[in-house]
Amino acid sequence: MTDTLNKENKLLEVLKEEFKLLSGKVKRSRRVEVVIENEQIIPILLFAKERLNYIHFSHMSCVDWIEEGKFEVIYILWSPEEKINLLIKTKVAREGEDLPNIDFIWRQANTYEREIREMYGLPFDGLVGREEFILEDWDEIPPMRRDFITNEYVSETYFEREGREDAKDVREQILGRTDEKLPDFAKKYSRD
Amino acid sequence: MREKSTTLYIGPQHPGITGNMMVKLQVEGDTVVKAETHVGYLHRGFEKLMERRNWLQSFTIVCRICVPEPDPNEENYARAVEEIEGREVPERAKYIRVMTLELARIASYLLWYGGQAGSAGLYTMPQWSVGDRNYILDLFEDLTGGRIYHMYIWPGGVRRDLPKGFKDKALKTMDYLEKRIDEYDKLLFENSIFQKRAKGVGIIDKNKAIEWGVVGAPLRGCGIKSDVRIDDPYEVYDKLDFEVPAMEGGDVWTRALIRRFEIRQSINIVRQTLEKMPGGEFYNKIPNPMKWKIPAGDAYVKTESARGEFAYYVVSDGTNKPRRVHVKGPAYVHGVTLLENLLVGENISDVSFIMNSLGTCPPEIER
Repeated sequence: MTDTLNKENKLLEVLKEEFKLLSGKVKRSRRVEVVIENEQIIPILLFAKERLNYIHFSHMSCVDWIEEGKFEVIYILWSPEEKINLLIKTKVAREGEDLPNIDFIWRQANTYEREIREMYGLPFDGLVGREEFILEDWDEIPPMRRDFITNEYVSETYFEREGREDAKDVREQILGRTDEKLPDFAKKYSRD
Repeated sequence: MREKSTTLYIGPQHPGITGNMMVKLQVEGDTVVKAETHVGYLHRGFEKLMERRNWLQSFTIVCRICVPEPDPNEENYARAVEEIEGREVPERAKYIRVMTLELARIASYLLWYGGQAGSAGLYTMPQWSVGDRNYILDLFEDLTGGRIYHMYIWPGGVRRDLPKGFKDKALKTMDYLEKRIDEYDKLLFENSIFQKRAKGVGIIDKNKAIEWGVVGAPLRGCGIKSDVRIDDPYEVYDKLDFEVPAMEGGDVWTRALIRRFEIRQSINIVRQTLEKMPGGEFYNKIPNPMKWKIPAGDAYVKTESARGEFAYYVVSDGTNKPRRVHVKGPAYVHGVTLLENLLVGENISDVSFIMNSLGTCPPEIER
């Protein structure tokens, strides 16, 4: 166990020497996390791929921290030799800022970027690819943003089918057949 | 004179995959010159739904992401939550989880057998393998109450202990399936139609495979030994004895052989887990699910599913609901960038054949 953690600590030291990290830590064995400014994304990804042999691009994700007005974007790389997942995190403003496109480093990043652009409305500078990926004719705010409220959208967009008004919470109706009462604790989690 | 190119739409419904996905092909004669993957037919917004549900309610959703093999989703979600919270899982539960995952892998491969043979026009194979898959679904029904969606592996352990007589029944089923592999060989691998169709088709370049994000059987079919169970062991895989087959070739034929060998390994693992399984608790009880808060933090976990590396990135902000659950199935890469490049230069009739050999599963792409 200590032996494997040595590998992780060594990776962190190398990255600390080369780049100005905002923070960095070994999360557990085989997981190292660094936080960087978004100008450094391309240099650090290229460094990890070309010099440290983190050649496998595993994952790319986005988290909406609406309270801070920021998106957090996470790039996850894997080294088949070291067997470590390197998580590179960066934050970018929700409005008015963009991130560099990285699909010239790993072509599969194109798919992730297109999805994030569509679902969060975060633009990638220089990203070429069909505008629509999963959604079709979507003109609301990007749906994975925290301020897109699914319930409100559904109640504004769709109408109740006639004759289905009583189908909202059928528990009362079913219990009524046998004169049973809905227990209090169940009422608390009722849909209405 | 140059042949005129034509646009051809394959899908959303076609035999190459489980689920709906369209591939827009540009063809000259019957050769594909350009392919574009179009998804969007199965988007149900699971990730968004989970952000509005508490941690336990979200657990009931994750298995719906993949029909042929829901268990890696459950296991990934459970392990991510446990990792953020720091919850211990009893040893017995870990063995039961591994057994469930391996049973799901066998079931998924049997379904794949059917799809792969069916897309080559060999229709006896699907009848046999899907019929045999039912024996595994029977085991799941005994174990979890559900045949397809199990909702069995949850944070803290598993939902139920093994029922009475389960061990004997499972071992008998494994013996039966092991014999059936030889029958499948006669039907599929010794069939000259399958050999001619599969050899030299859909070749993945070995030198580029890792960089292109190929995982699972397609990567092992390029001669690269890579498996999450070995590279980043989870649950009790490091205590079990099994081999990961890898073969040079990179074509549909090699990928099919890899899966065939893996069924035998999975049968072996199921037997080992049943033998080595310790007694004791199977569940570390969670607090009242409605008030259950997970400390702020994030976790990246992955499992080796039948189609390759299946990963979850889960973020908690300290409340009783997940902040973000990002699901990444192997098809996210296999079905889009890899497939689009692999189809160029192939024959139209091989499109669904290649798609099946990559294990493309559209519900993973759009969730």
